[in-house]
Amino acid sequence: MIHIEDMCKVYRMGDIEVRALDHVSLRVDAHEFVAVVGPSGSGKSTLMNMIGCLDTPTSGRYLLDGMEVSSMNDNQLADIRNFKIGFIFQGFNLLQKLNALENVELPLIYQGIHARERMERAAEALELVGLGDRLFHRPSELSGGQQQRVAIARALVSKPPIILADEPTGNLDTKSGADIMRMLKELHVKGNTIVLITHDKEVAMQAKRMIRIQDGKICDDRAVV
Amino acid sequence: MKKLDIRLLRMIKHSKGQFISVVVIVAVALLIYMLFNVTSINIRSAVDNYYALTNLNDIHIQLVKIPKGALSELLTIEGVKTVQGRVSFDVPLQVENKDERVNIRLISIPPDEEKINILYRLSGKRAKLGIDNAFLLEQFAKARNIGPGDKLSPKINGRVHELSVSGIAASSEFIYLMENEQAIMPVPEKFGVAFVSEEFAQSVSGYGGSYNELLVIVEDESKMDDVIDRLEKKLDKYGVKRMIERKDQLSHNVLIQKMDGVEKMATILPVMFLSVGAIIISIMLSRIVQNDRMAIGVLKALGYSNLSIMSHYTKYVLAIGMIGSFIGITGGLLLAGPFSQLFAVYFNIPLIRIGIYYGFIISALILTSVFCILSGLIGARSVLRIMPADSMRPEAPKSGKRILLERIVFLWRRVAFSWKMVIRNIMRNKRRFAFLVLGLALAYAINTVPLFEAEAFTDIFELQFGQYQKMDYTIEFSRPMNKQVIKDLSHLIDASIMEPELKFPFELKNGWREKTTGVIGLPRSTRLYEFRNSQDVKVTLPEKGFFITEALSKTLQVKKGDRITIKNFVPGKDDIVITVSDVIKQYLGANAYMDIEAMQELLADQQMITGVSMKSQDEVKEKLKDVYNISAVNSVADMKNSFMEYLDTMYVAIVFYLVFGGILGFAIIYNATIIGIAERNMEFASLRVMGFDKKDIFRMVNRENFVMTFIAILVGMPIGLGMINGIINAFSTDIITFPKIIAPSIFINAAAATIFFVVIAQLAARRKIYTMNFIDALKSRIS
Ligand SMILES: Nc1ncnc2c1ncn2[C@@H]1O[C@H](COP(=O)(O)OP(=O)(O)OP(=O)(O)O)[C@@H](O)[C@H]1O
Ligand SMILES: [Mg+2]
Repeated sequence: MIHIEDMCKVYRMGDIEVRALDHVSLRVDAHEFVAVVGPSGSGKSTLMNMIGCLDTPTSGRYLLDGMEVSSMNDNQLADIRNFKIGFIFQGFNLLQKLNALENVELPLIYQGIHARERMERAAEALELVGLGDRLFHRPSELSGGQQQRVAIARALVSKPPIILADEPTGNLDTKSGADIMRMLKELHVKGNTIVLITHDKEVAMQAKRMIRIQDGKICDDRAVV
Repeated sequence: MKKLDIRLLRMIKHSKGQFISVVVIVAVALLIYMLFNVTSINIRSAVDNYYALTNLNDIHIQLVKIPKGALSELLTIEGVKTVQGRVSFDVPLQVENKDERVNIRLISIPPDEEKINILYRLSGKRAKLGIDNAFLLEQFAKARNIGPGDKLSPKINGRVHELSVSGIAASSEFIYLMENEQAIMPVPEKFGVAFVSEEFAQSVSGYGGSYNELLVIVEDESKMDDVIDRLEKKLDKYGVKRMIERKDQLSHNVLIQKMDGVEKMATILPVMFLSVGAIIISIMLSRIVQNDRMAIGVLKALGYSNLSIMSHYTKYVLAIGMIGSFIGITGGLLLAGPFSQLFAVYFNIPLIRIGIYYGFIISALILTSVFCILSGLIGARSVLRIMPADSMRPEAPKSGKRILLERIVFLWRRVAFSWKMVIRNIMRNKRRFAFLVLGLALAYAINTVPLFEAEAFTDIFELQFGQYQKMDYTIEFSRPMNKQVIKDLSHLIDASIMEPELKFPFELKNGWREKTTGVIGLPRSTRLYEFRNSQDVKVTLPEKGFFITEALSKTLQVKKGDRITIKNFVPGKDDIVITVSDVIKQYLGANAYMDIEAMQELLADQQMITGVSMKSQDEVKEKLKDVYNISAVNSVADMKNSFMEYLDTMYVAIVFYLVFGGILGFAIIYNATIIGIAERNMEFASLRVMGFDKKDIFRMVNRENFVMTFIAILVGMPIGLGMINGIINAFSTDIITFPKIIAPSIFINAAAATIFFVVIAQLAARRKIYTMNFIDALKSRIS
């Protein structure tokens, strides 16, 4: 599913060079549930940006579902993101102007799906995350945990094979965090490939495989049972 | 506050495009302000100077005939300082091209030095006028390329005389050279003035020992009315045709109107520009303050006062104001010299002193300061609301309140999703949206004005000479004739329609209101004139009917059914009182029309006519060029041609206005878009992550801008209409009445121009969307 080979990402700021990813090679198969851990600044988010096609690497190859991604242009990447990947961020990133339902509809709009079907599918996704009674609430009228659940619904609605979550529980209390993790596990059971980024060992232990990253290099990679 | 100042510079560097666009607006505003005002003052003072130097007459009297000896008697009238008599008449001039009709006015100069309307001799300063030479008016000499030593061949009463040009002169009486009130614009190659000796003028015209015009200088201009009354009484027996005060004098009048127009523009345009600039700045500033809220909170916690923080932001505006006004004022002053010269050359004012008017610099600076301080305070006002504790919290998300439309559920459901986004974005900040719309509406309104002018001028011409007057030629006789002359003419010329005309200037009076105007007598069954009343209904002259134009009805304050007095200048004929049968439309000139038979009976003589108008494809000019007693053959086609040339120069002004409106429209859209993008960084980043590409986002922003533009155009229409009405009232004169023909094409073309500049601004702002780094935007929110 995800096949990264010898990937580097170098940020240049004036004379200083930051090697956020340093010759990383990684394979994630379909239906895996992977947690990426590491200290702050180790390159976790950078890795996720690469996997999520949000940024292009300085060198190396990236095959997603057998497609060579590293050479794609902007619009092609946007397409990949829309159809293959659902994102969940620490900061939720919901559009404040839109209500829950409309926020979840957004990825479907890009796909040009008809309004009625869009609404049905978005409502369904919100039902799934337990927000069936909050369809018309604005983000500002929802709790943090509820907002994150809207974000999950949004990530799910277009039924992408891969879910990428960057510190999804970072801004939440323990109980809400546990809810979110339960949902991710359910998704995994249903067949999604999940890459979860966290620096919380407890959270990471709930995945099936844990990759440790330090100074832009993978230093540990083992299964969890 | 040193550190803050460095931040200020960084702020400017960061928003270069925005900064420059507002500086340009301020600079253009002040440039127009300085340039137009200084030019106007320069020209006015040059004109005053010129009048004083050449002793321009206070009153110009046209009469039937007055003997030379009667002049000394006039000097005894209280208030009269100087009197000078002259003979003046218009005759055709023979030129190389036989088809070309050129008229020249021959004006006599007293044998001793002239005391009034002294010629400003440009060449041949020492030459004396005799019976075979003349001085030629500069504009005409230039237009026809005639110089000293060349010959003029005026045809006077059928005989061609030969006059050699001894010198070229400018005259303060003919700064703006127009043949008569009916002329729309100067056509210096078709009409000129030559100054000849009294001896020559009197001998060829039959005014031996007498004059037909008087020039008067009064002791005290404020007692002008009394002097005119006394003169009128005294001169009644000589048949006064017209008494023209300085303020009604044709050239002076046009000149003053032009200067008034320039001064009006010198105020209106800068105020509009600065208003739009203020809108943009205050929005920019409030955005910057929002971005800096944490820093502001910290500063407040450290004890800085609101005022000192606000003044920091006002410095940003001040920087714009200072740079803009420096460029504008310097540019205005530098250009004012050449610009004044250009005007002076255009108007033929030989003397011009270019002054620097420090007063305008000061008022320009005051204007800019008011603008800066106001927009700065409005923009930075939100500083007051930031509490020190806020610095710890990120910017509170705008609570997504439901908008009105959303409550109308069944309607809202039908709105497409992308439009929902657009509508919500617009509603997000209603006041700002309103301001932007207003600014854009002003830009749009500025565009409508020149388009209206072009449209109106064309319409004026087409209505006047297509619909209201259908003749191809009008012929004027050099003296009144019996109407039998039409029979003779119809032998000479093949015309489908030929109608007699009786035309004399009379003074019309209603109470104290009076106006001298050409009264035209026409057959009631005329097929060459069409009259339409104010309701645009076709009306025909009733028996003994009397029509006046809308312009006249305004000046005299009379309406249909009212009675007015016509003062008769013909010696021995009484004044008459007549009822206005209707008020009719006429855009060029302001005449009164009368049934020709009634007019002959009441005001002139039986069977008398002074001209003929006709519809004819014949070679009228060629055939009539050697005919006695014809003083002018006016061809509508000729007028049309010179009018078209005049319109060409107007297109330059139109382009100017479109560019002005364009600069405003561009600046508004560009800045609104840039600010909008900065504010919605996060939103766009989220959309990008979900797979929307740059084009989708650009399209969304475009859509918002176009909704704004569309509303602005709707709002701009009444504003434009108001400006057009202002123009109609301000620039309608006795000579031209602007028709209130508001063609849709004006508004459509103005909209096209506005949209064009909006598109350009969008393209300029597109780069910002395309280079936006959405990953960084996502990061900034988290920490
Ligand atoms: N746009 C950028 N420009 C320059 N350097 C960057 C940029 N983005 C990230 N970096 C650097 O790359 C390194 C990796 O950053 P990254 O965001 O991947 O860390 P992280 O592991 O996600 O940390 P955290 O747990 O704090 O989120 C850091 O040293 C960071 O400073
Ligand atoms: Mg991170």
